[in-house]
Parts: sequence; structure tokens; C-alpha cells
Amino acid sequence: MYGTLALSHRALDDLAEAAGRDTIDELRRMARPLEGLRVLNLSVTGFGTGTAELLTSSVPLLNDLGLDVHWQVVRASEDAAAVSRAMYQALGGSPVQWTHEMTDTWLRYASMNADLLTEAFDVIVVHDPQPLAIRSYSATNQAARWIAHSHLDLSSAQDDVWMLLREHVEKYDAAIFDAPTFARGDISIPTHIVPPAIDPNSPRNMPLPDDLVRSVLEQYGINPDRPLICQVTPCDAACDLVGVYETWRLVQERHPDVQLLIVLFTEPQDSNARACFDELVRLSLADPDAFVVTPGNEIGNVEINVFQTAASVVLQKGLRKGYGMWISDALWKRRPCVVAPAPGLQEQVIHGKTGAVARTTEEFAAEVSRLLENRDLAAEYGENGRRHVAERFLITRYLRDYLSILDQLHRKSDG
Amino acid sequence: MLGSVPTTPKSLESYRPIIGDEATEEIVRLGRALSGARVLHVNATAFGGGVAEILGTLVPLMNDVGLQADWQVIKGADEFFQVTKAMHNSLQGMYYDWTPAMREVWLNYNKLNADLFDESYDYVVIHDPQPAAMPTFIKERTGRRDGKWVWRCHIDLTDAQVQVWDMLRPHVEGYDGAIFTMDRYVKDDLVGPDIFAVPPAIDPLSPKNAELPKETVDGILQRYGVDPARPMVTQISRFDPWKDPLGVIDVYRAAKNEFPELQLVMIASMATDDPEGWDWYERTVRRAGEDWDIHVLSNLNGVGNVEVNAFQRAARVVIQKSVREGFGLVVSEALWKGRPVVAGNVGGIPLQIVEGETGFLVNTAEECAEKLLFLLNQPEAGDRMGARGVEYVRRNFLTTRYLRDYLRIFCQLDGVAVQQAAPARPAAR
Repeated sequence: MYGTLALSHRALDDLAEAAGRDTIDELRRMARPLEGLRVLNLSVTGFGTGTAELLTSSVPLLNDLGLDVHWQVVRASEDAAAVSRAMYQALGGSPVQWTHEMTDTWLRYASMNADLLTEAFDVIVVHDPQPLAIRSYSATNQAARWIAHSHLDLSSAQDDVWMLLREHVEKYDAAIFDAPTFARGDISIPTHIVPPAIDPNSPRNMPLPDDLVRSVLEQYGINPDRPLICQVTPCDAACDLVGVYETWRLVQERHPDVQLLIVLFTEPQDSNARACFDELVRLSLADPDAFVVTPGNEIGNVEINVFQTAASVVLQKGLRKGYGMWISDALWKRRPCVVAPAPGLQEQVIHGKTGAVARTTEEFAAEVSRLLENRDLAAEYGENGRRHVAERFLITRYLRDYLSILDQLHRKSDG
Repeated sequence: MLGSVPTTPKSLESYRPIIGDEATEEIVRLGRALSGARVLHVNATAFGGGVAEILGTLVPLMNDVGLQADWQVIKGADEFFQVTKAMHNSLQGMYYDWTPAMREVWLNYNKLNADLFDESYDYVVIHDPQPAAMPTFIKERTGRRDGKWVWRCHIDLTDAQVQVWDMLRPHVEGYDGAIFTMDRYVKDDLVGPDIFAVPPAIDPLSPKNAELPKETVDGILQRYGVDPARPMVTQISRFDPWKDPLGVIDVYRAAKNEFPELQLVMIASMATDDPEGWDWYERTVRRAGEDWDIHVLSNLNGVGNVEVNAFQRAARVVIQKSVREGFGLVVSEALWKGRPVVAGNVGGIPLQIVEGETGFLVNTAEECAEKLLFLLNQPEAGDRMGARGVEYVRRNFLTTRYLRDYLRIFCQLDGVAVQQAAPARPAAR
């Protein structure tokens, strides 16, 4: 048996306000032929990743729609986890030395995990590359439809590791990628694109009373009456923390009252990240208007909500991988955003419409200054951003995409 | 130089309405006496854990009252942190096969950090065993050691593995002062430093403890699927055998027979690299089964300070069913929110709960269920206990008292007399 996760009950109807009654009705119509469909989602972890967040929201909602959806995490020991991490890096484009022993470990754990899969399902969705080979070993679920949902950008994956993986992916009935640019052209199975989504009803996106926003800001030493620019971000070198600080210094030349807040939701994981962090801290410690919140502050969804709600402008100076969905969280709150030209970010921030895309620190500073000066423009970006997220990045759209894929597979298996 | 850690500014004045003039003024006088003193706190991590939480408040408050306080973390690679984790566990009573190689690693990294130490301070507070040997090497390198050095031990050494304590002890004996959390954590064979007992404290103005409007509390509960209209009990802790998460579910079930409306919220604080924590998480989820009134949440799902605050405030009763505990400061957090607490009679919990006045101390699951039922049946009694709990925490477990104790200790170590300020209390051994 795999690891089980705690899920809460969710009512789809609660999303009617955010997503519209029509959308809810459409989802119910789509789900009707799939009633009782037994679906298993498999991932490597239940926590702290974008995938985990999506499953935490979507699994209970699909159950509310009448499907019988489960989510379990595969087993790994320390050596398997180490191989897993290496594979993840290699697939993300950071070179690793991949050895035969690593292949053996990977396959051995896939085979052991396949033995733990004792129940039969109609559909099995594997969300991470690490457990993909389970399909090749599973005796109990040969009749099931298998979907490989890769949330990683595989476009620059290391060749030998990708070739190893591809052999197993080819046995799947369908593949899902988060974005066309993340996909591989060299697989023959049907491929779908399902971008990630945000949950408008999560505590990170719920509307908050002004009093609470003000008091939480004050608890962190931030003045709620002065403008604030904010980056909520993982702590890695690609996110250019020092660049965010330098952007702020440039903006300060014209707007001396503006404050800076950098919210780190991960610890620095490697030496480059640690060096960035140390440099940021060195710079910001000297300045009473620069605030750095770290995971040591134990912040949660409500605080991230507060920080985004309070920000005059939200930045994302760079991104290592993935989509950076916290930008959609900010757009949903009608915040104007200035972001780097990373593919996932550009899906969310359309230059000149829902925000601005900037390259250099000077460009960032110019865009931020413009938004601080031109309130109408900031408000316009904010409204457009909200609409853009409503159309493209709400969890209801994610559910619709999934129902449509499940329906196609289901029809195939009937035929 | 070691790595600096950012903190957010705090002001003593904002605590005055909470702690009153007398307590505020004593701190002001102590601060004045120590004005300009340079203080350095050194610990092993900037992220997570009770020590980081306490320093995040203590350091800016020291600055606000006139001292110049810094907080730095030591440098170390994986091999060092593996050894210090083993050291930490063995000092808390777990058995490790302690090898000379492990000792070497510990000493080498302490020496390395001592070499990075290039500033001069009036007071250096070294937190926990990881960096405890630093002053030995600083003295070895420079022939002297400026300022007063204090070792702040946050862990319970009662059952420490002898071999490991014997390795640590000679280094601790070179300090000017040593601070333990409770009297009975002090090792009998420790001689040399002046020894003090300073229990930890909560920050009433932090996002975890500050006032929250009722609508916000209800809104947060709803977003996590909890019904604010029905009674709820909560336990907030790590998931491990010492916090007995399975026992909490059993106690809830016993109470649910009489109160079918009852809900249970368990908030696990978990580390990504703690396999034992995952095992216990899973066992807890399995024990909860398909009872949708049991909500198992976690910090790794974004349940942070404000959420914890909301769940504690909304709880009819807060449970802390520990069978073994360090200090269990979460008890004071709940009391501060005016909630009665039913908690295991272990560790620092009896210091925080006045039996029958602010909550109940329990030794078994049966007792726990019985007291929980009593409080569910008599909500007014629970509210009265909660109100007394607020006053008890106000006097004893707020961060300003913690600050005051440090300032008193600094004065004492340097023989500074401060008018109308009590001397630091030596630990009773």
C-alpha cells in the first residue's frame, strides 16, 4: 500500500461565485458520464510542491463531481530518493552524472512500488517522472488507462535520462504537459496541454479585511500607509534576489517612500542560492525599509495573501523552472505585476495588458516606477489580470481539462 | 564573519499596553544600564525551530531598548549537521554509537567557525550544543576571549548520553554564564559558569498570537473546510510518538460519542527531511479514516502563523496530549487566546498550567477524555479557565519577561547594579 494523504471535503458549488454558475453546470454535465470512475493519482510527495497544491484542491472537487478519485504517494528509501532528486535535476536541464547503478535503483523501486499497487483502477495518473516506470511492472492494472502528467519543463532534459524515461512513457495512453514549451516532440502517444491553476477559494486567495492586512503588515514592521513592492519567491539564484533589491534602490531614487518586501517560501537549497541569500541579507540589514521574510518566520497562506494584497506592484525578477503560479495568485488579487520573460510567467503576464515583462534591472525599475506613478494604468492591469486568471488559470478550468481527457480515454476503453 | 539573519523591527512601547507600566519601566531601566552594549546571538539555523522563533523577537527588542544586538548562524556542511543532529538527539536521551570521528567533525567545524569570528562583542550568547566549543578555539587562537560568554541550552539534558555530555562539558565550563530552560534541566556536574533558569516565552504581537477579528477566524476555518458553527478541538504539534497523535484521535472519538457535532483539527508541523514524521503523519491519517470531521493539516500545506492563531482561538478546548515534552510552549499560546488546555503532565507543561485553574494536567487517555468532556459540557467553566490563563501567561510567559531575564543576566555577569530591577535568579539545583 502506498502512502495516504489527508484530504478535506470540498463542494464545487462554493466555486460558483469565483468561476460563474455556468462553469459549474458545465463541469457537472461533463462529469455525468464519468460517475464512479476510479482514478488514482500517484506522486512522490504530498506537500510543498505546486503539484501537491493542485492535487489538494482538485481531488476533493473531482470527488464532489461524482468520480472516485484517490491520491497516494509512492514509497522510497533514502537511496531511491537520492536517485529521484538526480533524475529531477537532469530532466530539468541541470547536468548530472547518470550511472547504471542509478538506473538499477530507479527500476528496482519502480518494481517494488508496482507490487504495492494492489487495487485496480480505471485510470492511473502519474504526476512525477520518478514513478513513471511503475506502469511497466504493474500486474494489477494492465487494463487501466495510464496518463503521464509531467509538471516539469522537459524541453532541455539530459539525453540519457530522457531516453531511459521515454521507453516507459511510450507505454502510457496519454501524456500531459503544463505548457507547449515544456513538452517533448519525440514521443508517439497522444499529448495534451493542461496548464496549472489556482484555487480562488484557498486561504491564500480569500478576500481579507483591511484591518487584518494592516495589522499583519505592522507585525512584520512594514508601514501599511506607504507603497510596497514585493516578490514572493523561492530562494534560488535564478530568482535574482539581489536584482530585486537593486530594482528597489533604483525605484527609490524617484520614490523615496517605497518599501521592499522579499518573501522567501523555500530555504536556500544549494551553494549558489545560499550565496544569493547571504548577499541579500547583507544588503537589506543595513536598510530599515527593506524587509526579508524567510521560512523561519513560519508564514502560511494567509500571510502570503496579506503581502500580495498589500503590494503596490508584484515582481518576479527571474524563474528557474515551472510556471510560478503565485503570480496568478497576485493577478487574481488585481495586483499589477512586472516579471522576467520566463515562458510560464509570460503565459500569465501579457506585456502591456495584464502587467509588464522586463529584462534588465533598469527596465524593471522603469516599469515599477511607471506603475507607482500611473494609478490608472496599475488599476487597468489589475482588472485585466483578474479577468485573464478567471479565463485561464482557475481550478475549474483545470478540472474541465481533466474531465475532457478522462472522457476521451474512457470512450476509447469502451470502444 | 558568520552568516547574518534578518529580523523584523519591534518596539518595547507597543508591549506597554499589554504588560503594564511597571514591567515596561524595569526593562527600560535595564536597557539604559546596558545602553550601547554589543550583543551577538549565535545558533545553527535561521530557518524554523523554536530557537529561531525566539531570536526573531528577542534580537530586535534588544536593539529597541538600546543594545546593539546581532544574530548570526554558524557555517557547516552536511557532515557537520549530521553529527550535530546525532549530538542533539543523544543529549536528549537517544542512544547513539558515538565515534571519535564524530567528535572530530564537531570540533573541526567549531574551530572553523571560531576562525570566522572576527568581531568584538560585550556579550556573546551561544545557543545549543552545535556551536558550543567556539569560545575554546577563539581563546586558543587569540590567547584571550573578549566580553562575557553565555551558553544558552534549549534542550533537556536530564537523560543525556554520558559520553556526549562529557565531550561537551569541558567547553561549557569555560563560559561565564549558562542558561537552562528549567531548573531540573541543569546538569549536576556542571561547574564554572553562573547558572540561570529562563523558560521560553511567546510574542503576544506576532502574527501567531495577535488579536484576530471573529469574522477572520471564521473565514479561515471555512476555507480549511472546518465548520465554525460546530464545536472544535485542536492539537498543534509535530507528529511523533511523544505527542501521541493517535491518542488524540481516540480521545476525540470518545468525546464524539457524546458530542456528535464535534470536530478535530490536527496541525502537524513537519520537516521535509524527517522520515519518522512522515510515518506518524500516515498512521494518523489512517487512524482518522473516513471521518470528515477530523482535519489533518500541516505547515507544509501553507498552514502558518495566522492559521494557527485562528484555530487556537476558535477551539472549544486545546489539547496537548504529550507523553514527553520539552517545554511545550504551544500551551501558553493557547492559554493566551483564552482557551482552556488539557495537556500531558510532562516537561514544562506543569509550569504553564495551574491544575483546575487554567486547564487540566492529565496522565492517561481516559483522564484526557474525561476532562475534555467536562469542558465541552461546561463551556462557561472553560471560558473562565481561559480568562485566568491569559493573566497567567501575561505574568509569566510573554517575550518581554524573556527579554528582561536576559538583561538581568547581562547586568549580573558584569556586576552592573540597576535601581528597581530585580537581580537575575540563579537556577535552583
